[in-house]
Amino acid sequence: MSSNSATKKSHSRWFRWRFHLTGLLILIPFSLIPFYIELMSVFGGANGLGERTIGEKQVGPWRITLAEQFERGPKLDGPAGYMKTFNAALCQQCAEQVKAVYMRLGKPRSLRTAGVIGFGSPYHMSFSMPVPENTSVDADVWLTLEGWDGSLHQVQWPLRQASPATIEFLQQQQEL
Amino acid sequence: MLRTYMRFITLAALASVWSSMALAHFPFVECHQSTVDIVCQGGFSDGSGVAGVTIDLISYDEEIIASKAFDEQSNVHFKPYNGEFYILMDAGPGHTIEVEWHEIK
Repeated sequence: MSSNSATKKSHSRWFRWRFHLTGLLILIPFSLIPFYIELMSVFGGANGLGERTIGEKQVGPWRITLAEQFERGPKLDGPAGYMKTFNAALCQQCAEQVKAVYMRLGKPRSLRTAGVIGFGSPYHMSFSMPVPENTSVDADVWLTLEGWDGSLHQVQWPLRQASPATIEFLQQQQEL
Repeated sequence: MLRTYMRFITLAALASVWSSMALAHFPFVECHQSTVDIVCQGGFSDGSGVAGVTIDLISYDEEIIASKAFDEQSNVHFKPYNGEFYILMDAGPGHTIEVEWHEIK
């Protein structure tokens, strides 16, 4: 009888402490906070335009700076295929003159085929560009800038220069 | 009380999943040669359809040969065209996808 009572007592102590131990779960998000803050600083621009700045170029009367959001290859997005994210910033003087910025691999045929549109602030636009697996490693990234006055200006970066990680990814895909 | 709490947790978890799905929303189109027509099926990477979205068959000299819209099943049929062309799905500025004639099997 007394041993039964002792077992019950130890059980109730364990159940009570098990409840209190769940409080330790709060430490899990705390341990992840530094990673979260670093990630948010990349998305928000507090740590610069992206993980790797590619460079700045003159596009007609405007200047644009391009960066890789993360220094890694494209990411698979279901049936839409592989997508690579770049960020861009317009110069302070030209931000109000540019209506839209488009990005694609290869020279666009027309404004309709100019590629994905940059969204976000003119000082931190984001582009998720499709990268077909059969893309040539000698391809260029083309940017088309459309002004509010209807003017169009284009500039290109060799993909090798824009994203060495994407070149490495393409070489791996094409070897398979 | 516990049930209400669990419902809240489930809703919060689903909302966080749905919010990321709403962000990723890229168009895609796949075309193949059927016995007679060229058949294209479109969609968005979040699983939504493209009923009513414009899709054009354009020759390499930029002449629009046929302009159509996807049906309720996100399919569209084009009559065969002799010559070099591309098919352009146009879901709005910056939301376009091209398929070259030589990629259609």
